[in-house]
Amino acid sequence: MTGEVLALVGATLTLLAAVGVVRFPEVMARMHALTKASTLGVVLVLVGGAVTLHHPNDVTSLLLAAALQVLTMPVGANLLSRATYRAGAEQEPVAK
Amino acid sequence: MTAAAFVVLALAALGFGYRLVAGPTLTDRVLGMDGLLVVGMSAITVRAMQTGEGAFVPVVVVVALVGFISTGVVARFIEGGDQ
Repeated sequence: MTGEVLALVGATLTLLAAVGVVRFPEVMARMHALTKASTLGVVLVLVGGAVTLHHPNDVTSLLLAAALQVLTMPVGANLLSRATYRAGAEQEPVAK
Repeated sequence: MTAAAFVVLALAALGFGYRLVAGPTLTDRVLGMDGLLVVGMSAITVRAMQTGEGAFVPVVVVVALVGFISTGVVARFIEGGDQ
């Protein structure tokens, strides 16, 4: 039951990330919404699965996936935002 | 409880799919794709919880790895594509 509640909370956080991705007006704000909310959401879902399932293979796989997500999601978002900012800054210089 | 999680994940997938189709820039499409990968990982996990069968759980690890690699590659493409 604990794992199912965790999964539901994580899915709700992913839905909040989707709402932010749909409604925010600018690309950096959308990236902010997706990265933060969906990182916590998917980690909660994976930990909920690790709590619910019993086989050691499944538990370690889910925890490994959660650790990978925590490690790679901010790095990927940083790469993407830096690339977007540099490309945009070259296309249209910021007015001062 | 898991059925409610599936409904919530389906709504999130609709939002990410909208951004994937309609996003004005390439970065928006990458965001939509990333969100859909997150929804897929969550859905595989919730289904494994529902059935108690962990046969698809290693797919979650593979999707996490491949999603990061694809994001990095597209970021390199965006950064160097216009020069």
